[in-house]
Amino acid sequence: MATGDALFAGIDVGSLTAKSVLMGNNGIVSYAVMDTGTNPKKAGETVFAKVLHEAGSERPEIRYAVGTGYGRVSLSFVDRTITELTCHARGAHFLDPSIRTVIDIGGQDSKVINLNADGSMFDFVMNDKCAAGTGRFLQVMARALELDLEAMGTFSLSARKPSRINSTCTVFAESEVVSLLASGEAKQDIVAGLHLSVARRVGNMAKRLGIHERTVFVGGVAKNVGVRNALEDFLEVHFTPLGEDPQIIGALGAAVLAKGQYLKE
Amino acid sequence: MTDLKADKTIGEVRTDVALQIEMAKDEGKKVVGLMCSYFPIEMALAAGAIPVGLCGTTEEPIAAAEKVLPADQCPMVKATYGRSVNNTCPLFPLADCIVGETTCDGRKKMYELLAREKPMHVMDLPQKPEEKEALEHWTAEMGKLKVFLEEQLDAEITDESLRQAIKQTNKERALLTEIHGCRKVHPVPIMAGELVGLTTTFGYCVDRDNYTTRLATLLDELKRRIRDKEFACSPDRPRILWTGLGNSLGCDKVLKLVEECGGVVVCQEGCGGITRLEDPVDEDKDPVQALAERYLRVTCSCMTPNTTRFEDIDRLISEYNIQGVIDLTWQFCHTFNIESYRVGELVKEKHGLPFLHIITDFSQSDVGQLRVRIEGFLEQITLGRKSAGRRGAQS
Repeated sequence: MATGDALFAGIDVGSLTAKSVLMGNNGIVSYAVMDTGTNPKKAGETVFAKVLHEAGSERPEIRYAVGTGYGRVSLSFVDRTITELTCHARGAHFLDPSIRTVIDIGGQDSKVINLNADGSMFDFVMNDKCAAGTGRFLQVMARALELDLEAMGTFSLSARKPSRINSTCTVFAESEVVSLLASGEAKQDIVAGLHLSVARRVGNMAKRLGIHERTVFVGGVAKNVGVRNALEDFLEVHFTPLGEDPQIIGALGAAVLAKGQYLKE
Repeated sequence: MTDLKADKTIGEVRTDVALQIEMAKDEGKKVVGLMCSYFPIEMALAAGAIPVGLCGTTEEPIAAAEKVLPADQCPMVKATYGRSVNNTCPLFPLADCIVGETTCDGRKKMYELLAREKPMHVMDLPQKPEEKEALEHWTAEMGKLKVFLEEQLDAEITDESLRQAIKQTNKERALLTEIHGCRKVHPVPIMAGELVGLTTTFGYCVDRDNYTTRLATLLDELKRRIRDKEFACSPDRPRILWTGLGNSLGCDKVLKLVEECGGVVVCQEGCGGITRLEDPVDEDKDPVQALAERYLRVTCSCMTPNTTRFEDIDRLISEYNIQGVIDLTWQFCHTFNIESYRVGELVKEKHGLPFLHIITDFSQSDVGQLRVRIEGFLEQITLGRKSAGRRGAQS
């Protein structure tokens, strides 16, 4: 770059989407989000190329790169890998140091992280090996309802009476949705019911860990206003806005950690 | 010469000992199959028999078990039953009889089916060990076990032979306690993965004197490593206390994962670990009474309120300079699962240490997810620690 600004990269290859953030001395330089598809290694490389292209930069100018997310082990070009738990904590802390709880709902897992004052992890809890309460759950339901995944949030806002979804299992919930459709239930109500189900599942996990007043909601599912509202109601908390795309917080944290690692080494 | 290489799989270890047992049987020796730490092996030794563990620790026999047992049972219950019916376990056919205890519901009911395969005796284990009636009952159960074994093995169990057996096992306990104690040193002279491999292998033995010789050799080697400052890992690795289940060869996937991810397990409390090793059988009392007292002090979560386990964890955290605690529960093991809440309270609230509860089974299907939790947990210790240091430097 013309300015000679030192750059640090974070690459977060999740199960559904790959994210990358470039950080300079004055904060975020550029970021990119794309589908992971079936090849996490390629997705990581492509999203990294994309973010470099947007910044007008090439690899040699990157001082340090940190990989995170489920695909982190397949990234050969990063200097170090750090889990998405630590990365989400750092990313949220970078944007607002007063944050003490991060709730992340990603493609295949959901987690609640409590933070120390310095942005390191104090404690965390993750969902079991099951798609309930994750982005995958909503993706499966969107398909069953023939809805656009991204549109589900706003669509649910016009619900009159959220349907009661009893199954927590993704497979059973899907057949429950099909029966609800057959019985003439409004799609809006079903979607609102599904959002409540995700909120209950993740909310109970958060209650078990104990959350703080300064809580943020991040990850791809945080873009869904229906889940967001339902989770706020369930937890009786108002999520602190971060002013950035909630999907890139993990990659941002990775970039912040990259900078820290570089300065340390 | 004792081989100190821990490179055998549990299958190989079992096949090796099966061969030795077969030879011993040719010479007229009898074999008692045991299931759990509540079994007083001194009774089998006093009868001149070979005690051999038949508890399931691997995934392969589970499919066979699920033809009979419901799938939503703990993997240990399923694997133990599966081993007995799928004809692949080299040890099960060698047992002349089997002894189990009424520890958890899954085992208790599974034993009813296992009893179809071999002569079986189930000891009724009282679950409020601190009550005085518990000891009376358990002593009576010891007496019944003695009668069962004498009949099955066609042998007499005398006070004298019991006393000798107690001396022998106390010697083994003392050696094992000292071996585990070597890991109080920082950094440790041996990784947990290696130690678990060795102690499990040694534990499958026909000749008890050979067992103590092997333990003594291992102890000498560990002492030598400490003297020569030959440590097993760098001092940066977070020191982890392991509690709960999953620390014997075959079902040690998470334990190994922790050490692969950059931690070091310096002490294991729980089944297969240090639990109650430092607690010998009283050699001066009536031997049956002494055995009843000792075995009622085993700290499985089937006991309530299982106070001793919490006292042990509390003490071990300090003794072993622990930086984080991992508690492993097998899927569908209700007692360890619920008890984990109290373990977490003790670790987090009293000691202010990171705590991770893992629920898993014997399969490899969740290794990816487990890796994230374990790496995250270790980062909680290392990255938190470094930043704590920075905070200190600023103030």
